[in-house]
Amino acid sequence: MKRKLLSVLMTGAMVLSLAACGGSTGSGSGSGSGSGSGASGVPANSATAGETLATVGDITLDMWCIATESDSNRHSYEAAIADMQAAYPNVTLNWEAFENQSYKTKIKAAVSANEMPDIFFTWSCAFLQDFVDAGRVWCLDDAYQNYKSELPESMLGNSTYNGHHYGVPLTMNIVGLFANMDLLKSVGYNEIPGTYDEFIACCDALKAADIIPFGCAGKETWCVTEYLESVIEKSVGYEALNDIFLGRATWDNKDVAAAVDTFQSLVNNGYFDPSGIALSNDEVKANFMDGKYAFYMNGTWNCADFANNAAFFPKVKVAEFPVINADKATLGQLIGGPSDTLAVAASSAHPEVAAEYTFELGKLICHYGYLDGCGLPAWTPYGDTSAVNALTQDVAAICGNATGYVLFGDTAMNADDANTYLSYVDQVYGCQVNGDQFIQGLANDIR
Amino acid sequence: MKKKDVINYINVFLFLLPALALFVGILIAPIMKSLYYSFFKWNGMGAMEFIGLKNYTELFTSKAIGFWKALGNACFLAALSVFIQLPISLGFALVLGRGIKGERPFLSIYFMPVLISTVVIGQLWLKIYNPDYGLLNSALWKLGLDSLAHTWLGDTKTALLAVFIPTLWQYVGYHMLLMYAGVKGVSPDIREAARIDGANESQVNRYIVIPVIKPILKVSVIFAVTGSLKSFDLIYVLTNGGPLHATEVPSTVMIEMLFQRNRYGMGSAIAVMMIILCFAFALLISWAFKERDIYGKK
Repeated sequence: MKRKLLSVLMTGAMVLSLAACGGSTGSGSGSGSGSGSGASGVPANSATAGETLATVGDITLDMWCIATESDSNRHSYEAAIADMQAAYPNVTLNWEAFENQSYKTKIKAAVSANEMPDIFFTWSCAFLQDFVDAGRVWCLDDAYQNYKSELPESMLGNSTYNGHHYGVPLTMNIVGLFANMDLLKSVGYNEIPGTYDEFIACCDALKAADIIPFGCAGKETWCVTEYLESVIEKSVGYEALNDIFLGRATWDNKDVAAAVDTFQSLVNNGYFDPSGIALSNDEVKANFMDGKYAFYMNGTWNCADFANNAAFFPKVKVAEFPVINADKATLGQLIGGPSDTLAVAASSAHPEVAAEYTFELGKLICHYGYLDGCGLPAWTPYGDTSAVNALTQDVAAICGNATGYVLFGDTAMNADDANTYLSYVDQVYGCQVNGDQFIQGLANDIR
Repeated sequence: MKKKDVINYINVFLFLLPALALFVGILIAPIMKSLYYSFFKWNGMGAMEFIGLKNYTELFTSKAIGFWKALGNACFLAALSVFIQLPISLGFALVLGRGIKGERPFLSIYFMPVLISTVVIGQLWLKIYNPDYGLLNSALWKLGLDSLAHTWLGDTKTALLAVFIPTLWQYVGYHMLLMYAGVKGVSPDIREAARIDGANESQVNRYIVIPVIKPILKVSVIFAVTGSLKSFDLIYVLTNGGPLHATEVPSTVMIEMLFQRNRYGMGSAIAVMMIILCFAFALLISWAFKERDIYGKK
């Protein structure tokens, strides 16, 4: 009952907050929906129009994703695909998984050459928008009509362009402040500090006890943004940050500069592992689980990996980052949202079947992913969810109290702007620029 | 022109046609295509907008792109290759070429890194440089040199040098083999004659062997310099251009523009510049190695 309530609360919060990419305007594509015409200005293949999963003959669909062997979502993909193969033996799914970073290159090259698989994993918002604008993605408006009761429309906000839906969301995640409670208890803290002053006092106590407060993978800049964006959001409020990320407001914002200075004070105070700048996220996460760091700010998809480590799991707790400026921000303002998405190529030989298959598959991946603790469900949960790990349930509780979300900055912005932004984040972490230089540089360089 | 000459020309053309088609299709056409794209603003997917030379202007003036810094890093790597890597290779080649005991096993051992995949070498050196459990820091701690232990790939001051060392380790055997072949080609009679004239081993190397293998040295220098200008794989694995762009080279900037920023026009402009630079350096090195008389004329 409690979990159902949380799901309802979570969905409600999403409705409030997901203004994100829903308002973005893809140009030149996505016109056709509701009439069987292919989205993206690509007419539906008349030979395949009207096909459904149940009526289509033996066909093969190809899919690309990032659920590699070491990915925490791997099991949910395998289980979902096995269920689909059993339910629809007439459809053979050939799927390949690629490492996250190289996949970004691969899928862009494939879209560019119009040689995409029928179904492909993508990140929502600006990442998918480029593909939609290029007319390479099949509009899912028609297929969605059959899933409206199971997939709240608010969850499609980040993959909706010009009012048309182009993606099937899987799970949603936020940035969580994970803490090793054994280390916190060793310096007298039985809970994760709830206020910023207590939090800083805790970091000082950890440092005095020769415990590194934060682990952060400087080699992967998105890991730095998990910290920086949380600090900015809890200083300036989610609306201001959302407006900046979505281009509705300038980066030249003194409050943001002050927040960046606050973040740099954490770095300069020696709260971050100095070795972290040369480490990957996997290495930092392993260090956190080995007890090297007290805190690890990262996506809540990590709950699955933590839950799978029997020795570590009892030690870990999750909370949201404390409020820094109570005049502008409150608890419940979070970084995250549904970003992991499946989409259908407009060039697919069987786009309508692929669309239906994608919804069915997405629902199952979401279901198994939620059970595994890979994130919160974008779809309405069903079946017995009592096995969901306690950490994921804590995340659900945090989301249940959410009042606003800001999507990850590098997902919300277009590729060029996102990389300019990441370059400045790098410089902030390396203390090469201060808050004023950060906002002025971005205000000048963001195209 | 006589009919026979025309037939000969046609025959020559027909025989050359397959090779010419391959050359144009594989080498010239992609370069021309890159040159064409470099005049456009294009995200690789949508409509292309002709912007003339704006990509080149931005490339050389934008601090955000950092092409000059990347080029400077590549030139630094090239200098290290020429003045550190090649002398080491030459030293090995001269010693092994003398026919010492165990010549063949040494040759194989020095050449072995060339055969290993660059990604494997990158992973290997990532472990060596790891600040927590890496071989290098562990050795320093064991030797009581704790103050020297370092985040080698995470410090802007040491990262570029740390990236160069695996490159040196990987390719020293390659250049050694090229030079070794040259050293072995030097006639024993010339060596013998020099010794009879009273030259010791180092004088034989300096006045006989090295001048004889000069064409091979030229090839090695060209390979080392152009290889440094287009270096990518090891840097991508070890640092991906970081920290703070300290190890950025033109290839990593190009990849960022093409596949991370979706700026295919700018990426193509960088590709064109790299081609021009590689050709220019190759010509410069060839010119520098040309035989000259005492008046400096050829």
